[in-house]
Amino acid sequence: MKNLKEISTRLESAKKNINKREKINKSSNAASLGKALKISTELVAAVVVGTTIGFLLDNWFGTKPLLTICFFIMGVAAGILNVFRSAKRMHKKL
Amino acid sequence: MALNPMHQFEVYKIGPEINLGKINLSFTNASLFMTISAMLILILLFFGTKKKSLIPSKIQLVTEMSYTFVAKMINDTAGTSAKSFFPFIFTLFMFILFCNMVGMMPYSFTVTSHIIVTFILAAFIFVGVTVVGFVKHGIKYLELFVPKGVPIVLLPLIVIIEIISYLSRPVSLSVRLFANMMAGHTMLKVFGGFVISLGLIGGWLPLSFSVALTGLEILVAFLQAYVFAILTCIYLNDALNLHH
Repeated sequence: MKNLKEISTRLESAKKNINKREKINKSSNAASLGKALKISTELVAAVVVGTTIGFLLDNWFGTKPLLTICFFIMGVAAGILNVFRSAKRMHKKL
Repeated sequence: MALNPMHQFEVYKIGPEINLGKINLSFTNASLFMTISAMLILILLFFGTKKKSLIPSKIQLVTEMSYTFVAKMINDTAGTSAKSFFPFIFTLFMFILFCNMVGMMPYSFTVTSHIIVTFILAAFIFVGVTVVGFVKHGIKYLELFVPKGVPIVLLPLIVIIEIISYLSRPVSLSVRLFANMMAGHTMLKVFGGFVISLGLIGGWLPLSFSVALTGLEILVAFLQAYVFAILTCIYLNDALNLHH
């Protein structure tokens, strides 16, 4: 009986150690570099998509520069929104 | 030819030309290397799960590690409700990882350095996630574009911005993988070309750079596969749980 208790206390302390190590690893693993790489494209992609939509709509309605400019600005806003969101997600995880 | 850093990205056909109507369906070097990566995954998983011993052999350990890695990733980012998508995410992650890694071999071809490959992958994810969202929530899925607590005056503007943000997902997903792989491989070849043109005396500096860059590229190859899979999980989480 005494042996079993000893084992359980040792197991618990070992588990605590594992948790501690995981917490340390979480902040410094290679995944953080991946997160850094992903933000830059997110900003650019939204601007490109917004401008493309504006350009296509312009060709469709025949209102040449107007909608392209409007959708370009909205694309910038969407890009900033994207970056803001992924930054918030990162913050939540830390 | 050896000095042209873009020569490695050339797609050429292997064997006879196959035409289906107007579509050219010939077997190219890109298809060959996709097949090779898929076969390597099958071989790894086949031999890794063949002998299920309590003390795992090295190949079984690799297989189990890749399983737990992906399972943990899904659990952390998309929650338990996304568990049923494990086969999809696992296939995606392993395929991109093996394509990137096979591309790191000399004389091989990097499939993921072509935007059409990565864009098709991203487009299927985009369509799939949208379908999952509509199946799970019906018309309520459109609430994703209407954030809570926005004044009605601003609502049309916000909805358009949200839609652009949603449509930019496949673009950013595909461009990220394609640009990273293409830039890295071009840089490797440029430094390789310097080694040849500088000769025996000056060629040592670019050679050492080349070795260091190869290490970096292997890291990037893994990271990009990881980022691709984890973003798919995040998009799935948005579709399944309907919040940002």
